[in-house]
Amino acid sequence: MVYAIEVDMDSRIFFVFGDLLANIAAGALAGLLSVLLTATGWNMFLAMLWAMAIGMVVGFVLFFPFGVFFGAMEVMLPVMFTGMMSGMVLGMHKAMHPIGWELAAGYGALVGLGCIVLIWALNALLRGPRSYGAGEGG
Amino acid sequence: MDTQTQAKWDRAAPTFDLMAGKGAEDRWHPFKQELFSNMDGRVLFLALGTGLDIPTFPPGKHITALDISPKMLEVARPRIEAYDGTIEARVLDVHELDYPDDSFDQVFTSCTFCSVPNPVDGLRQLRRVLRPGGDLYMFEHTGSRYYPFKLMMDFMTLLTRRIGPDMNRTTVKNVQAAGFRLREVNNLFLDVVKTIHAVK
Repeated sequence: MVYAIEVDMDSRIFFVFGDLLANIAAGALAGLLSVLLTATGWNMFLAMLWAMAIGMVVGFVLFFPFGVFFGAMEVMLPVMFTGMMSGMVLGMHKAMHPIGWELAAGYGALVGLGCIVLIWALNALLRGPRSYGAGEGG
Repeated sequence: MDTQTQAKWDRAAPTFDLMAGKGAEDRWHPFKQELFSNMDGRVLFLALGTGLDIPTFPPGKHITALDISPKMLEVARPRIEAYDGTIEARVLDVHELDYPDDSFDQVFTSCTFCSVPNPVDGLRQLRRVLRPGGDLYMFEHTGSRYYPFKLMMDFMTLLTRRIGPDMNRTTVKNVQAAGFRLREVNNLFLDVVKTIHAVK
């Protein structure tokens, strides 16, 4: 499995760096905004949905500056996923306990790092050709 | 002519390269180059857009290239002239191809069927102008089968459809629905960015 990940993922260093940068930034910003826009004491389920929506919007917006340099779908899907997950984690945390903005941004960045690693692993599983022999369909 | 779609892409033409010209093209360059290296014989290519794909074409080919947007082809003009071969660029709607049956040996598409309003009808037109046994090679982004990506792409399509492409197309199924026989689907990023090879 480790071998498959090594050979299948896009290993061009510029894009690896871009993926990391975009997702760490999206995670930090989504975490920060989720904490700022959620209040302690809110219903946790509603806070989760609200913060996930905030995170998804953050990811969508950040796609534009990062997408210019680092790719289209390869940037858009990970940063939106990261934003959603970071918003979920930090929004639920804030609904239960107060949290400072520096810590929220730091946790968000870690979530972003985790999300992009997860997507790289998932990509390694899904990438590659599927042949249909003499042809299928028609 | 689908004037609504034409107007959408005419509006996008002046700034299209800003968003798509660097990151996406650099990332996709080696995969497009490999796909387009299959070009041989009478080749139909769509959609040419601003010509960002042209540097990935093999040299010395004669290619008939279509786009629905005249503004896009205006931006493409310097790239068309710089190509080491000939590109005959035309403004044409894929739903209304005016070529006789069996006119081409191969059809290539690049990020096209995320935007064609009636994809199965468009693909049927491509099948009609392709000779029997001819090849369809596609570089496309599609929707995903997997959550949460599927959900995200359905949501995104509500926003992007007005200014650009759909994000949730089922292009592989559409190719089959149009009567092509699949040969290979090669996922390049998740199950979203892919190349498709099918035959008539």
